[in-house]
Amino acid sequence: MPKSATDKRHFIIAAALVAVTTVLMDILLKAVLPLPIQASLEALTIDALIGWHLSLIAFLFSLIVVFMLYSIVVFRKRPGDNSDGEHFEGNTTLEIIWTVVPLIAVIIFAFYGINTLAEVTRSEPNEVVVKVNGFQWGWSFEYDGVLSPEMVIPVDQRVRLEMNTRDVIHSFWIPEMRVKQDLVPGQETILRFTPIVTGEYTLACAELCGRSHWSMLAPVRVVSASEFDQWLAQRRAEQNPALVQAGPDTE
Amino acid sequence: MSLMSLGLVRGLIGQALGTLAGLFLVTLIRVLAGMDPIWAEEPAWVTGAVLGVIGFLIGVGALTDWAKWTVGIPTPLHHGPPVGKPAWVRYFSVDYNHKVIGIQYGVTGLLMLMIGGAFAVIFRTELSRTGLQFLSADTYNTLLSMHGWAALMAILLGIGGMANYLVPLMLGAEDMAFPRLNAFAYWLNVPSIVLLMTSLFFGWDGGWTVYPPLSVIGSVGYQFVFYSIFTLGLSSVLGSLNLIATILRMRPPGMTLFRMPIFCWAILATSMIQLTATQLIGLAFLMVSFERLLGMGFFDFEKGGTPILFQHLFWFYSHPAVYIFVLPGLGIISEILPVFARKPLFGYRWIALSSLAIALVGFLVWGHHMFTSGYAEYLRVPFMLATLLVAVPTGVKFFSWLGTIWGGRLTFPTPMLFVLGAISVFLIGGLSGPILATVASDLHLHDSYFVVGHFHATIFGGFTFPFFAAIYYWYPKITGRMYNEAMGKLHFWIMTPAFWMMSIGQMSVGVMGMRRRIADYDPALGVEFGHILVTIAGFAIAFSILIMIYNLLHSAEVGKVAGANPWRSRSPEWQIPSPVPEHSFAAPIAVVGEPYDYGLPNSTYIRMAGAAGDD
Ligand SMILES: [Cu+2]
Ligand SMILES: [Cu+2]
Repeated sequence: MPKSATDKRHFIIAAALVAVTTVLMDILLKAVLPLPIQASLEALTIDALIGWHLSLIAFLFSLIVVFMLYSIVVFRKRPGDNSDGEHFEGNTTLEIIWTVVPLIAVIIFAFYGINTLAEVTRSEPNEVVVKVNGFQWGWSFEYDGVLSPEMVIPVDQRVRLEMNTRDVIHSFWIPEMRVKQDLVPGQETILRFTPIVTGEYTLACAELCGRSHWSMLAPVRVVSASEFDQWLAQRRAEQNPALVQAGPDTE
Repeated sequence: MSLMSLGLVRGLIGQALGTLAGLFLVTLIRVLAGMDPIWAEEPAWVTGAVLGVIGFLIGVGALTDWAKWTVGIPTPLHHGPPVGKPAWVRYFSVDYNHKVIGIQYGVTGLLMLMIGGAFAVIFRTELSRTGLQFLSADTYNTLLSMHGWAALMAILLGIGGMANYLVPLMLGAEDMAFPRLNAFAYWLNVPSIVLLMTSLFFGWDGGWTVYPPLSVIGSVGYQFVFYSIFTLGLSSVLGSLNLIATILRMRPPGMTLFRMPIFCWAILATSMIQLTATQLIGLAFLMVSFERLLGMGFFDFEKGGTPILFQHLFWFYSHPAVYIFVLPGLGIISEILPVFARKPLFGYRWIALSSLAIALVGFLVWGHHMFTSGYAEYLRVPFMLATLLVAVPTGVKFFSWLGTIWGGRLTFPTPMLFVLGAISVFLIGGLSGPILATVASDLHLHDSYFVVGHFHATIFGGFTFPFFAAIYYWYPKITGRMYNEAMGKLHFWIMTPAFWMMSIGQMSVGVMGMRRRIADYDPALGVEFGHILVTIAGFAIAFSILIMIYNLLHSAEVGKVAGANPWRSRSPEWQIPSPVPEHSFAAPIAVVGEPYDYGLPNSTYIRMAGAAGDD
């Protein structure tokens, strides 16, 4: 073992350990933090951002922990040694480096963060509009006058949710779609996403809203465009008394 | 000796009488004014709560000296235990010695930590399986909300304990700048705790964030919370004022700001936040209280208000509050590391200034709690940028700590273990921050268990672990005896791995879709296994803390005598006898060197007048 704490060999060994640990941590982190399936375009964008974050976390975690453990093992006091450590009070160059390098990382992530935000919140022409109403403790949905207790949306089309509540604050979250938005009394809030996988999901309220907040759920179905049109037409027919009366055998 | 000679007992009686007076007063007014019905719980309890706090302060005697001044009666500062009573009585009564007040803060803090922890253990058990087993949804929500505020009180009290006990000693001062204000600030906490505990019986379900409109339509329990926290906040403001005055005005000759023990820098930064941000949460809570009481629609859209305004006011305090909670603990880490590394603190000035930088940037980031709130969309960008910026001074601290231990002669008694544990846990908390700061990833993680994991790691790493390190480290100075080292290590080796498991478990279920603050969850999420792990870890942490409590109580009687300076520290408080005498320093001190020059032969930090070598 090199004697002086500033011997280059210490840093070479530690750097090698950091490199190995970073790779292992990256794999481990992504295993213990399993994201739900990617059911929207937003999920793809957001998961990529999360992936970069996790890799950076793996590196920084390894950097700090390896140097800490290395110190604990190598620089621990040996029995019988009552001397003090080497007397150095600091190093301005090092301090500047570990201020400026993180600052650059912050700027890069900020830039990336702004881009993903613009990406996931973008609007498109021809969005499917669903009016979402949250209340203590449930959800209802309205499609241009047609009411529904479940949310049905067509796959591969941008959905715009126009959300309202009259009682307390709620929050719209389908984990598979990744995005989230509060519903605020007295204000319409908007949430957009583009589902890309057909299937059944669960919408849950993510903002504490009183007694049954935990069970404030609603079924969500992502279906093909034709199924969606069919479903909407059927709901419209069911809810329009004129059509119901005119129908030959509605029962 | 009668029970009534304990200030605490008189205070509690005063609070009970004040509360009754409030209930009676409101009812009397309603009878006289012919209002119907005669009993109106909202105004009655609010008046009762406010008069109860005043009753407590009168009863305990925190106002006595000031009252005497108004009529010209002089009140010289009394030193030492009360005349004709056992010495322990002073801990339950108004006492102006900062060491007594420090212990009062610290012990009350530990007590609240256990109460807050007990709430968590109860609802944690409920969450270990899907389905509601033994709690109703209402009870669950109440316990969860109580856990939040009880734990935050514990933290503020714990910080008060460390600051009050240590800052004057580290400055070589006899006491704080304003001893009476110091006692008054401590005693505000007790009626505040009583109010919070009372709210439990009414039930309230808003979480510690108490967002309106939920907190407007909920039970009268909310009012108790509002006035409890208002009182707590008043204590924070007065306490921090006292600490700032002490640090700026009572340093000994030779102790420039950059020659203070680093913990004083941390407390200076924390106090600056407390002195200026606390008012905002007090204001926010008063506004909700008035909305409930008088129908003032600050947050009611039908009366021209908006619920989002509350969130701005709340987080303008409650984000910086995170730094109030962690800066003192980070100061403890910086304070203790050099002693057990036998090396100078690496980059003292950088560490000191990074505390200030965190405190200042901390004022500009509150909106990151509101990325999904529905405020103007463009606001997300500046709040994201400011928040990411906090990573820079935080990084400086981590790297400087590594620089401190690199090449040292490390030993690992319990306080050092807790400091290293603190770094590891705070690292988990810190590193899980930026992913919540970039808005798009927050849209998934916001209000999920990932956030729960993130802030528990931040607060345990930044407060709880360093607080425990401080308790073990200064225990010999406070009691004159050593704690039991084996038990201390056992505490550490149970709590630390358990905490890692808890953090990772919470973050894991959060990413998978587990929401915060829900009494039960959908088995289809596949998070039950994670919850079982988190619950086991929670129990292990609670158990390990009981070991510490036993250790502290037991060792005070049987621990081996510690001597003045068992850790070979250079700091002023270790140059005087243990336990610290009533008038800490027998003679004034002067600073003649750097605080952390371990390894520099023939150097000392302070010199005492009249001591050997002084001329
Ligand atoms: Cu809810
Ligand atoms: Cu924050």
